[in-house]
Amino acid sequence: MQRFIKRLTAPLVAIPLLFGLSTSTVFADKIRIALAETPSDELAAFFVALDRAKANGLDYEWTAFSDEELAIQAVLSGQMDIGFGTPYSAMQRSKAPLRIIFQLSKLKFFPVTNKKYSKLEDLAGEPILLHSRGGGTDSIANVIEDKMGFKFGKRSYVPGSSNRVVALIAGQADATIIDLSNKNKVVRQQGDKFNVLPMFDVEASDEALFANLDWIQSNEEDVQIFVNALLSTWQDMNEDPTIISKETNPDGPIGQLPKEILDELDGFYTDAIAGGLYDANGGGRKGAQADMEWYSQAGQLEGDPASLNVEDFWYMAPLDAAMAK
Amino acid sequence: MMNRSLLLKLLSAFIVFGTWEIAGRIPVSYAFPTFIESMKALFDMTVDGRLFAAYGETLKPLVIGVIISAIVGIAVGLWSGLNEWFDWLFSPIFIVMQAAPLAALIPLLVMIYGIGLTSKIFVVCIMAMPVIVLNTAGAVRNTPSSLTEMGRSFQASNWEVILKIIIPAASPVIFSGLRLGVSAGFIGAILSELKITPTGVGDIITYSRSIADYASMYAAIFSIIVLAVLFLNVLEKIERFLFEGNNRGYASD
Repeated sequence: MQRFIKRLTAPLVAIPLLFGLSTSTVFADKIRIALAETPSDELAAFFVALDRAKANGLDYEWTAFSDEELAIQAVLSGQMDIGFGTPYSAMQRSKAPLRIIFQLSKLKFFPVTNKKYSKLEDLAGEPILLHSRGGGTDSIANVIEDKMGFKFGKRSYVPGSSNRVVALIAGQADATIIDLSNKNKVVRQQGDKFNVLPMFDVEASDEALFANLDWIQSNEEDVQIFVNALLSTWQDMNEDPTIISKETNPDGPIGQLPKEILDELDGFYTDAIAGGLYDANGGGRKGAQADMEWYSQAGQLEGDPASLNVEDFWYMAPLDAAMAK
Repeated sequence: MMNRSLLLKLLSAFIVFGTWEIAGRIPVSYAFPTFIESMKALFDMTVDGRLFAAYGETLKPLVIGVIISAIVGIAVGLWSGLNEWFDWLFSPIFIVMQAAPLAALIPLLVMIYGIGLTSKIFVVCIMAMPVIVLNTAGAVRNTPSSLTEMGRSFQASNWEVILKIIIPAASPVIFSGLRLGVSAGFIGAILSELKITPTGVGDIITYSRSIADYASMYAAIFSIIVLAVLFLNVLEKIERFLFEGNNRGYASD
């Protein structure tokens, strides 16, 4: 019996140990990027920037998580180095020294309704379909309530703009808030049945790159290469949105997407640039300030936005250096 | 003897929660709260009534799903245990249901039944029904043939054999099947709240996670485990009371 137990425990100890050793050596100098979704047209620009960074010597690997919160958790736990999202509440609540280094996209979302409603005020007391409680569209709904001085009716949640469009078209919802590309699709295909309600401009971040400050400071060189590549891509893209489809690696994760999506890339990025989705300067201080105000108003940051210190949320050095080049 | 078992239970709880507390204090991850923080969050949730409101929401699909599974499951199980042809026709469905990766089927369920209560009840049924059906069928099929033969030699009708011999003989295993079905139903209810639309306890978990209130998230998860363990213990007690002398494999032993 004792021998049996010994034989049983030996591999139980050895296997995790071996696994731990092998993974730590393999990943020693690769940066690990946690994506909040599987590669899609929205991530094409990001992958173009990754290719540019790779050409300059950045070694990386990426893992797609099923949602943003898991990606944030993986970075908090140190299983991933760089994450994707806007973890303002995680920064303020947990003791983790997370910092944002680059704004990838802005929170450009649009209230879309059926013909019953024609302006935001009509939605007072009406039910609305949003992404998730505590998510970006929820914060937009909070700020609309705040600015317009009314309350929405029951909020229900369906993750994914495309799923909310399906619900809207199927008549399961009368009003929702969806992203730019889905809004354009609705307007193009069923513009006669739905209204896009006019709304104030939002400058805050939707997706941003963030990492642990200690990790950023001990990998200064890699982070700099990465931010340089991102900034150059974002600037080039703002001048000519078609560079994304031109530079997309046909063998990469975006190049492998179905042809229908790849054919739409130029249209998607032209619309996105026209709609102001991508800031040519990676957000920077202006973006950070807008975030402080927005996320305080939306209830995800506690305290007066004027008293919040941007340095506690953003690490500007790599972006500043990239801008100076 | 009773005291020793209680002592061991307390000791193991102390070791687990102590390890949790230490792991939270190191901390092993910024996303991992200490035991005390989580319990404080649980206390706050209970006091302000959020937890009860959430369970009211979560128990809806669970209770409806388990009741449907129990009625349909025992009926189908009895029938397929009694009738070989029916067994041949229906058992494979439940074996497939049990083996199918449910999370992967959820998009399909949502497509058919939408995002409301119906889909969630279905998830609970898919989790709970196969165990109930297969246990019932097995128990009925394995009724000692000496008992049924004895019944027949005393001129019992088919109905009498079923009602007075087969069902009483099979009931301990049927009840075990129900118990396993309820615990599978728990998994189904939480899974549906996490994967379909966040309501009830699933909403506390996803919302706390999205605002990085990890203590509340762990508190909600902890409350589910406690509730499930308590409920299963009660079912076990009932089972022991009803079928004294037929004890087989309990979780709390």
